[in-house]
This record gives sequence, structure tokens and C-alpha cells, in this order.
Amino acid sequence: MSNAAKSHQHTLTIHTRHEAVAIERLLQVTRYRGFTLAGLELKPLADLTGLLITLSVVSDKPISLLVNQLNKLYDVLDLELHQAEAGALRA
Amino acid sequence: MTGAELVVKLLTEHGVHSVFGYPGGAIMPIYDALYQSPVKHYLCRHEQGGGFSAIGYARASGQTGVCLATSGPGATNLITALADALLDSVPVVAITGQVSQAVAGTDAFQEVDVLGLSLTCTKHSFYVRDVADLAATLREAFLLAQSGRPGPVLVDIPKDVQLAPVDYQPLHLTTATAAPDCSGLATQIAAARTLLQQAQKPMAYIGGGVHMADALPELNAFLTATGMPSVTTLKAMGSVEKANPLYLGMLGMHGTQAANIAVQQTDLLVCLGARFDDRVTGNLKKFAPEAKVIHIDIDPAEINKLRAADVAMLGDLKALLPVMAVAGDYSAWQAHCSALKQQHGWRYDHPGERIFAPLLLKQLSERMPDNSVVSCDVGQHQMWVAQHMRFNSPRNHLSSGGLGTMGFGLPAAIGAKISRPQDTSVLVTGDGSFMMNVQELATIKRFRLPVKIVVIDNQRLGMVKQWQQLFFAGRYSETDLSDNPDFVSLAAAFAIPGHSISHKDEVESALDAMFSWPGPYLLHVRIDETDNVWPLVPPGAANHDMMTDLPQWEE
Repeated sequence: MSNAAKSHQHTLTIHTRHEAVAIERLLQVTRYRGFTLAGLELKPLADLTGLLITLSVVSDKPISLLVNQLNKLYDVLDLELHQAEAGALRA
Repeated sequence: MTGAELVVKLLTEHGVHSVFGYPGGAIMPIYDALYQSPVKHYLCRHEQGGGFSAIGYARASGQTGVCLATSGPGATNLITALADALLDSVPVVAITGQVSQAVAGTDAFQEVDVLGLSLTCTKHSFYVRDVADLAATLREAFLLAQSGRPGPVLVDIPKDVQLAPVDYQPLHLTTATAAPDCSGLATQIAAARTLLQQAQKPMAYIGGGVHMADALPELNAFLTATGMPSVTTLKAMGSVEKANPLYLGMLGMHGTQAANIAVQQTDLLVCLGARFDDRVTGNLKKFAPEAKVIHIDIDPAEINKLRAADVAMLGDLKALLPVMAVAGDYSAWQAHCSALKQQHGWRYDHPGERIFAPLLLKQLSERMPDNSVVSCDVGQHQMWVAQHMRFNSPRNHLSSGGLGTMGFGLPAAIGAKISRPQDTSVLVTGDGSFMMNVQELATIKRFRLPVKIVVIDNQRLGMVKQWQQLFFAGRYSETDLSDNPDFVSLAAAFAIPGHSISHKDEVESALDAMFSWPGPYLLHVRIDETDNVWPLVPPGAANHDMMTDLPQWEE
């Protein structure tokens, strides 16, 4: 029986400025803070004033650690965490 | 005017009188605009030196430090300084020249993706594509560097933007500043006051965020009103008034025994602008195990990051500390902490004639002029400075805390001297660290900066060697520096006089000679390579499990 902490999947919806660097930062922070990328979708807003990004991550760490760091990014204008978890990935 | 001239105009608009840097091809228009401008440029001899000088300037003064570099290698040389500023929350604006947009992305000469390189070691990095955006971007950079938790911001400006014509539009600043408001935290404040009233053994754990919030008067009033003992992090040394009898010193890996023991015993840890860094906590799971935690910080990402708080407040310490203060009856705890402090005081009765660095630094601390700024490097001497020197403000103790960057000290001492010319700037460095940015002696020579340099020389990378001795079976891999240069002769090559000492009875007269000399001076201090830093919390241990029973003269 593994003692490893259970990993959970989380989905974030993020509104950023319409800058490529916003995506770079999201991915850098996700990797550096120990979250595994499970999915990434993005599309520009209709008026091209921003990007709407759906980011799915997996980690055994509290998602608040990532949310708090992403919220600090200059290009992140709004962030919403969807609490629907995919459940434990490891026993 | 040109974009380059606008950069200089905006520097003056932000009250920037001094900048540090090194010219090169892609930033030549800005250097041309600096020529005969009201902004004084200090030519450093390496861009990293310029970055650290900007940090020293900022940390000693509270103002934003500014550094300049050209594209490619100039910019990459800034990266370490930016990372240092990020880890220690120092407001710095770095301006880099970039190749013209016509050749951008073609691997042009001295082209590198500075924006991409710098993103992880700044609060944010900007690339200016259009000269019309230049003013707004630079203004945003200065605002961002100082706001919230301060930090470095980089602005990368292509050469064509520097050369493009643009009009300057003055910024109409709004001078009214809203008073800090903590009314939205009423519930948390009440909960914190309740915890303070219930506590029997409270302890204030003070970090660098307190002085950066300009809240030192409120902190000391809070400590007096509550009667709470206190400890500080490396960055917060000098925050607590010297007269406070319940201040126990620095906590953590090389903290005082009194501080570490008391923190392990506290039942309420009041964390003020600190972040539960691993050098502070030791084994996090065993840190202050019985304590409830009140955590106040300006950065939401620090709350509950490493230690869950029973009461967390995201806000301005200047406003929160006064409303939190509630007196408790901690007399038994106060007596206990006082006894710990008495019982575990420093010993300076080192036998023999060789110079004992802790005693030398105590003597230096006692003999240096009031309000001197002490910069140091990284390693054993850095910990001895924190343990044995006394400061009356965190702005008088510049130490690379988070990143732990060797080579920080000399350029930081230069920046400190330039920001506070009326005060004495002292560098305490080690023989390893000093060589990391030794080229900045040329900056001292060029500007005749009266920086006082104390090189603590054990001909070793002392801290690494200490760990090799304790934890790597004495296998001294690459820590022998016995082929060091003659430091006094080295200083002389930069027209800096110096003197070398190796015996205790030489110390006082040597310090007096250094401080009485009107210009820069280098004091070379030979110490025994077997001297170690004590106490030490070994890796993985709890802070009360300090190694203290191996005084070096008994080994």
C-alpha cells in the first residue's frame, strides 16, 4: 500500500491579457510549483482584448498553492477554480 | 525627443538620480541620452555588479534601484541579480537594450530572448514594441516594482524603439494616498486578539516584510504593548529596538540557541512579514510543534504556503499591528526567555592568538560609526555577521538571504554608499565571495567611494568545507582556496590602501586605522581554517536539535 499522497485533478479558467508571454508564465509557474499539466485550451476573446484559458493540472499538492501563485501574475486578469475533481489517481 | 531620451526623462520623473550599468551596442541610444543628463550613471565593471549595486542602493535607501545593460550577454549577466532581488523582495527596475525589431528573432548579434530568460526571476518583464507604449510601460514598471510585495521588473527596449521619435506627456500624479484600511479584517483581528489573550507563551517571528511595510515603529509599539518576546529572520535583523530585553536574536539554521529553543516551545507564533523559509524552520513538520499561528503578510501566496495559519490576515502591517496589540500576562514566559538568553549567550573567550572572527565582528560592530551600512557576502562570515553584529535598522544590514549569492557584497556596498553618502559603508566579505565580483574595486576607484572592506580569509570556501567536515566525512572537495591572491596588493592595484592582520592584538588598532582613513580601505583578516559557525541545525533536524557542543577549539 502506497504512502504517497493522493493526486487530484483540478481545472482552472483563466482570463489573461492577450499576450503570448501570459501563456509562458502560466506554464512556467505550473511546472515550477510542482503541478503536472493535464490539459490546456485557449482562445482569444471575441474582441481580441484577452485570452480565455482552460488549464487542467494534476498534483498531490493543495491547488491553492498554484492558484495563489497564478493570481499574482501580471497578465492574469481573472481566475476561477472549478472544484470538480477527477478523484484520486493513485491508491 | 527620442525613445532613449524619453527613458531618461522618465527616470527623472520617478526621482531616479543614480543608475548602475554597462553600455553596449543595443543600448547605445540610451547611453547617449544619459550623456550630460541629470541622471548620474555609475559604470560598474560587470553587469552583475551593476545589478547588485542597484539592489544595495534600494535596500539601503528604500528607493527603487535602477540598472542598465545591453542585449545578449549584458542582459544575461543581470539575471543573477534579478533572481536575488526577487527572492529578497527588492524593488529594482532593470532596463535592457535589445536588437532592433527588424532583425529580432533572427539570432542577430548579441540577441537573446531576455524576456523569456527573465520571466521567472522578476515580478514581470516587459518588451516594448512601440515607442508610443514606452512611457506607460516604464511607469508601470516602477509602480509594479514598489507595490505590494516589492521586487524586480525588467523592461526590454529594442534599439529602434530607443531611436524612434516620441513626445513626452507629463504624468499628473495623484498625491492623495488612501490610508491603509483593515476594516475588512475585523473578524480575523478579533480572532487574533483572542489567541493573544489565550496564549501563555507567545512569540513574534519577524521577517523583512515589516520594515518594507514601513512598520517598524508599529512593530516596536506592538512588542512593548504585548510584552511578547521576539525573534527575527536574517532579513529583519535590526527591526527590534536594541533596548528590548525580550529580543532573542535570529532564529533558524545558525540562529541563537535562545531563539530556536523558545520558538520550539511557543504556543502562539505571530508571523509578521515572514515566510517560513527552510533556513528558518529546519524540519518544517517539527517547527514550533505546539504553536497556533497568526500569519500576516502582504503576499497572498505566502499565507498557508508552508505552515497553515490559525488566523491569517492579508494586509498592511502598519495598520494591523496597532489594532492587534493586546496585553497578556506572560511573566513566566518572559522570565523563561530571559533565562534562555542569559544561559545561551555568545562566548568570545577563544584561546590562542589567532583572530576569532566572531569577536572581531563584535569589535567591528562596536567601533563602526553610528548608522553604518554593513553589506556582506555569503558563507560563514555572513552568519557570523548576523550573530555578532548589532544593527539599528534592517536597512543597515544588507545580506543576500533568499538566493544566497556569493559576490553580492562588494557591489551592494557600493550601491549603499551611493544611496547614503553621509553614512559609512562597510563590506564584510569572505575570500571566496570577494573574488566573485572583485572587478568592482575598479568602480570604487573610479568614483573614489570610501567603502571599508573587511576580508575574512580562511583560504577556504568555509561554509561548504564545514558541511564537508560534518556531513561528508571530511572529503574536502574543491574548497581549498590557499592559492588566493595577495588581497592587500590586489587592492593596491586599484589605489585602495590596505593592511593585513592575523593576531588578536592587532584588531583594534587595525579597525581604528580603517575607519580613520578618509577613503576606501581594505582590511585583510587571516583566520584559522578550522573555525566553524555554531550553532548549526543539521539538515532534517528540528531547530532545538542544534549542534553546539563542538566548539572548534576543543576539536
